[in-house]
Amino acid sequence: MAVKEEDSHTQCSEAGEYEEEEEEEENDTQNGEQNEKRHHPLDDRHALQFLDSLDDYLIQMDSLSSILRQGWLELASARHSMGASRVNGALLDLKFHNASTSLRVTQDDDDSGVGKAHFTLSKWASSGNGENGSGEGKLREDKSPQLRHRSISPLSETPEKTSSQIGASLIVDEQVQKERLKSLSVFGTLVSPKLRTAQLSFETALGKLVEIANTRSTLLSAFDQVKEEIEGTKD
Amino acid sequence: MAGKAQIPTRNSALIAMIADEDTVTGFLLAGVGNVDLRRKTNYLIVDSKTTVKAIEDAFKEFTSKEDIAIVMISQYVANMIRFLVDSYNKPIPAILEIPSKDHPYDPAHDSVLSRVKYLFSAESVASGRR
Repeated sequence: MAVKEEDSHTQCSEAGEYEEEEEEEENDTQNGEQNEKRHHPLDDRHALQFLDSLDDYLIQMDSLSSILRQGWLELASARHSMGASRVNGALLDLKFHNASTSLRVTQDDDDSGVGKAHFTLSKWASSGNGENGSGEGKLREDKSPQLRHRSISPLSETPEKTSSQIGASLIVDEQVQKERLKSLSVFGTLVSPKLRTAQLSFETALGKLVEIANTRSTLLSAFDQVKEEIEGTKD
Repeated sequence: MAGKAQIPTRNSALIAMIADEDTVTGFLLAGVGNVDLRRKTNYLIVDSKTTVKAIEDAFKEFTSKEDIAIVMISQYVANMIRFLVDSYNKPIPAILEIPSKDHPYDPAHDSVLSRVKYLFSAESVASGRR
């Protein structure tokens, strides 16, 4: 019985090997066909990038919707506690003033040499007091890549550098608080705390909006590349 | 289209808005508001009295200004001038359709998504790939 079982096992294993060989041959022929079909090795990468950015765009839009909903709710609460006459569009500042929050636009070159717009938010950077404000804004902007770098290698940081950065961040925070208060002062000196939270929600929404703009840029750039490739294969 | 055009670098570009009162007020609290020497604002508050012509003019103005990098427009307002929004295809300023209080975001109406929808039609993919 044991001998018979061994025989049947060896037969099975032989049959399995044959099947594996056949599968390998089939795979080889399929791969060969696929390689022939594929004119550009980057085809799939662009298509994947396009689908990924499309997915990202929709997710971010969903996220923006919920942030904005929160902001509207807080604004409505502020209006409820302060009165409709104190929180409305008629009170908006129509005197000459520059935007405190602005964008930096740069051209972001892709690996394939295709340029796309890249937006960077510069929060509370340029106030009415000119150069000082914009300088601090730059400081805030320059800090972010360093922070990202620091998170990768935390041990390489010296204590002096850290303290100077903390000092700089305090100055920036002070400036930001000043600008926030200035923006809120349109609705009076004593405003509802809900208005402050609404302000923070809309700031978050603004950050999300810039992310969406960048994703949109990537999406359209990837779309153009995929479209070009499709048109190329048609010809 | 979007990728081929040369994009000039700008250090302090503005964000323009065409939206309902609460959305504009909220973003103005976030410091987006700008009023120039001619007292022209970078936003338009749309209410029941605002005409389509006024929205069209604001859209044309914001998309032609060099110091504006993003134009955010409530989707229900964009639907009023859909022909203009869909025909716009420059990379800068970027048009972003945002939801509003009474009208949730609908991806089916988004100009960006309707532009890229072309790739999802079975006919174009099949004729391109096979």
